[in-house]
Amino acid sequence: MRPVRLGPRALAALVLVSAIGVIAFGWPLLADPGAGLAHSRDAPWLFAALLPLLVGVVVAMIADSGLDAKAVAMLGVLAAVGAALRPLGAGTAGLEPMFFLMVLSGRVLGPGFGFVLGSVTMFASALLTGGVGPWMPFQMLSMSWFAMGAGLLPGPDRLRGRAELLTLAGYGFVASFAYGTVMNLYGWTMVPPAGSGISFHAGDPLADNLVRFLAYCVATSLGWDLGRAVLTAVLTLAVGSPLLKALRRATRRANFEAQVTFDAPRE
Amino acid sequence: MTAPTGAAVLARRRPLRAPEATRSNALPAGAWWLWALGLATAASRTTNPLLLGLLVGVAGYVVAARRTDAPWARSYGAFIRIGLFVIGVRLVFSVFLGSPIPGSHPLFTLPEVPLPGWAQGVRIGGRVTAEQLLFALYDGAKLATLLICVGAANSLANPARLLKSLPGALYEAGVAVVVAMTFAPNMVADVMRLRTARRLRGRPTGGIKAVLQIGLPVLEGALERSVAVAASMDARGYGRTAQVPPAVRHTTNVLTLGGLLGVCAGTYGLLAAQGAGYGLPLLIAGLVAAMAGLRLGGARSVRTRYRPDRWGARAWLVAGSGVAVAVAMIWAGGVLGEALHPGVVPLVAPVLPLWPAAAVLIGLLPAVVAPVPPSAGDPYSKEFQ
Repeated sequence: MRPVRLGPRALAALVLVSAIGVIAFGWPLLADPGAGLAHSRDAPWLFAALLPLLVGVVVAMIADSGLDAKAVAMLGVLAAVGAALRPLGAGTAGLEPMFFLMVLSGRVLGPGFGFVLGSVTMFASALLTGGVGPWMPFQMLSMSWFAMGAGLLPGPDRLRGRAELLTLAGYGFVASFAYGTVMNLYGWTMVPPAGSGISFHAGDPLADNLVRFLAYCVATSLGWDLGRAVLTAVLTLAVGSPLLKALRRATRRANFEAQVTFDAPRE
Repeated sequence: MTAPTGAAVLARRRPLRAPEATRSNALPAGAWWLWALGLATAASRTTNPLLLGLLVGVAGYVVAARRTDAPWARSYGAFIRIGLFVIGVRLVFSVFLGSPIPGSHPLFTLPEVPLPGWAQGVRIGGRVTAEQLLFALYDGAKLATLLICVGAANSLANPARLLKSLPGALYEAGVAVVVAMTFAPNMVADVMRLRTARRLRGRPTGGIKAVLQIGLPVLEGALERSVAVAASMDARGYGRTAQVPPAVRHTTNVLTLGGLLGVCAGTYGLLAAQGAGYGLPLLIAGLVAAMAGLRLGGARSVRTRYRPDRWGARAWLVAGSGVAVAVAMIWAGGVLGEALHPGVVPLVAPVLPLWPAAAVLIGLLPAVVAPVPPSAGDPYSKEFQ
């Protein structure tokens, strides 16, 4: 029972945009040392302008294959919970309870719903707090990947109980750490001053830049990312069970994919 | 009341004065965003701290003159704090991690940490020069100014109006965002209510157990409510889609997927050493096709708009002033490059280039032409001010 079914077209769009997203985040490490992209300092701005359009196209494609009123209402409510949870944790050593909600919702409601939920949550919380900045498209895409990944975990219909919680907690730990690293990859070309020991040097070989990137991660955000990863895992283990039940109950009650059929009146 | 209001009297006396903002003449959010992005583009073209300061001042003046009492209007201050944080981070990194800027004015020397051979690109500690600090400061100030300009757009543009200007194909997602933005404050109010109830019963309101006992009912209640919201949306005819002719549907799919394919190939082309020649045109062509697909995709949702945003003369002036600043600064960058990028080695004091500074002042236009937001005070202050 999945509220959002990914049709072949939506799936193709999702794969294409994810491939573009990989470049948008990873160009400092992936670009050829001689490429113009590596040397221009405009690349983060180019992708900050490009990504919202692409995320919009994917969400429109997913909505096209069917986002009914129930899915929209559920999406809005879960995004509201996420957006309300976000300012709670901001500023306190990466304690962001929003991630754990995304893991559980992605698991129960499936990858397509998870993708849209991640984007909508980030967008809504940016609008609510007046925080629409050049980082928002990147956060939207990586949060979408994060929630979609939870929906792609094995055994959505048979894995239950302790094994499911452990899987989710493990995924939450690894993926929320990966979220921090991916966002670091975006910040890496912007935050440290050009030419310092931990900033991106255009044209250097991959190994040197990789060392600098790891040094940047350790120097700036390792504590935050670890705190977030541990919090996500602990919250999933501690309160995942009742929340999963609540989400499944709501999904059952909403009765997604119910076919409305009309019979001709009998004479 | 039949007597003309104070604003009407003023408008009659001085016809060029900006009118008071009402629901019908408020500026579209896009105009504010274009203005702010123009200023941000201008900021990205210079590292002259005097010009950057002027840009921050222009944005700040317009925000002070035209912002409302809405919660998002405070984000200008928040973005200023983010900007200062960026500058601080850059200075700290420059001090502790070194810089390739050759400097001849050493300020102090930090003890250098020996690192293993595989980390030879990284340096911790060492000599700190005035030049490298100044370089970090200039570069950080550029990024900070850019962010502050974005903050100005955040505090001036109404997010609800921004959502209204989403294309029709994103209607469902837009509704979800509206639902989220309406529900989130309710959710916070629910939490407050449950906390108060707990406190009145003499139970602790802090600690993990209390958080769970408050949070779970709030979430369950919210999920229950979502089913109710969906039912009411269904009852009001939400989500009925139009019959789209197969030809239009196929064109939409071909344009969207082909466009995405083009953008994908274009970005991968940009990664290659020789790819810039075909990468960028391919990317732009793909983007145009995908946008056309997005626009065509709106054909499935037929709806009229209540009070659509109108791009009147004032909106064009606001957006145009931002674009004018950006164009002037890009032009100035080509003509008097060194004035926009004051030298760091050797150390020189930056001078204020006259014409670019005058061009930046065009950005003040919205403070004159944009409709004045109604003041929050009592009605008499509006009448007699």
